[in-house]
Amino acid sequence: MNDKHVLRSNVLSGLGLVLMIAALYMVFIYVPTEKHTGVVQRIFYFHVSIAWVSFLAFFITFIFSILYLWKRTMRWDAIAHASAEAGIIFTTLVLITGPIWAKPVWGVWWTWDARLTTSLVLWLIYIAYLLVRAYATEPARGARFGAVIGIVGFIDVPIVFLVVNLWRTQHPTTIIFEGGLTTSMLLALLVSIAAFTTLYVLLVFQSACLKSMEADIKYLRSVQAE
Amino acid sequence: MKSLFIKIFAIFWKDLLTELRTKEVVTSVLVFALLVIVIFNFAFSTGASMPELVAPGVLWVAIAFGGVLGFNHIFTVEKGNSRLEGLMLCPVDRAVIYWGKLAGSITFILAVSLVITPIFLALFNLPLLLPLLALVIVLAALGFATVGTLFSAVAINTRARDIMLPILFLPITVPVIASAIKVTALILAGSPWNEMLIWLQIIIAFDIIYLVVSTLVFEFVIEE
Amino acid sequence: MENMGYLFAAYTIIWAVVFGYVVFMQRKQRRLQRNIDLLRESIDKPKK
Repeated sequence: MNDKHVLRSNVLSGLGLVLMIAALYMVFIYVPTEKHTGVVQRIFYFHVSIAWVSFLAFFITFIFSILYLWKRTMRWDAIAHASAEAGIIFTTLVLITGPIWAKPVWGVWWTWDARLTTSLVLWLIYIAYLLVRAYATEPARGARFGAVIGIVGFIDVPIVFLVVNLWRTQHPTTIIFEGGLTTSMLLALLVSIAAFTTLYVLLVFQSACLKSMEADIKYLRSVQAE
Repeated sequence: MKSLFIKIFAIFWKDLLTELRTKEVVTSVLVFALLVIVIFNFAFSTGASMPELVAPGVLWVAIAFGGVLGFNHIFTVEKGNSRLEGLMLCPVDRAVIYWGKLAGSITFILAVSLVITPIFLALFNLPLLLPLLALVIVLAALGFATVGTLFSAVAINTRARDIMLPILFLPITVPVIASAIKVTALILAGSPWNEMLIWLQIIIAFDIIYLVVSTLVFEFVIEE
Repeated sequence: MENMGYLFAAYTIIWAVVFGYVVFMQRKQRRLQRNIDLLRESIDKPKK
């Protein structure tokens, strides 16, 4: 089992490194400076990529939560948990880089617009997921509860987005997002997304392995106690 | 089918009798909700000139936060007396337990809402007879109860049980709270019915979705 | 070229957080692996 893991890990790391360097090149050298907002706009590429990957992460948690409740394979629960952890880290980065971009461009750190608010609520939902798992009285319960929250929470996301969107159209928006993307910008964005998706996969595999190891330790401890 | 209703009612009735004997949960939540309203009066010191602006938010914060406190008790009672294990020994479908508890939760939050709302309206000098508001309260209460009942069963089995429920409950019910506040604001402003429709539809959709999902998922929460 | 500071801050934070998480996991892996090896040893020993 370990050799296959090491090979997979190395391939993914290599791929990830190449993609990340490519993304950095595209973001800092290839893409022209945006007219209206200047250099700061370059944050956009990584910010959006990370947002997309965080959403992917929570979707994976949703799927593997369902799978775990169905088949009770520990490995799948480990993936669901690991994916939620990665998702929270990425969402945190979205919530940090967003305001860093917003301050010079819009003049404010935060607006309660649809995407930002949904991201914040999303963050809170999955913090609750991690807390439930951390505070559960036994790991088996934590896995089951986590799966339930992973399912219930994800279903809520489109509803929250819909509501916040509707809410905000009642108020004049402070920003008008500059037109569309040129092809070079789109390309940079796609490469960034690819880089972060690879990074995400790497992180989840690593994290899931660690959780399996923790489960092994618990099992070994119980054997030792006999 | 009829036997299902009887079982659900039995669970509900037992909880109702327990609560009616002591009345401790409803009373304390009512007092808490009133306190929320009073404290918010100081928070929005400029609101006195335009109560319609802040009032909807205050009402629903009071109901949501009071509700969360009360939902903590749905399963605490069972845990204390190990009644849940006893309940699970009965040959009942897990979903039946959920619906029995849900009936109790709905009753609880409706009782709190229908008492606190007239008080709230009076304190803010708003008209007291608002049938549409009653409709919103019923719909939102259902939404709160579905999620609250499910999460109460989860929170009771965690170490930080009192704080765990609000942390779980509040982000998930953002759509209900936001929509309820919106509709209330529209009602107080005397807006036409069609403006409110979309928000009411959201609450109804939330209710249906979470009724179904919670029913399906509840058995995984209490299995042992 | 103004606002360079913001751009730098954003990318530094991204890099720092991701790197920090990776390092955290590597340390944890080493610790867990050590635990597993120790446990395995102590289980096998009395059997011999």
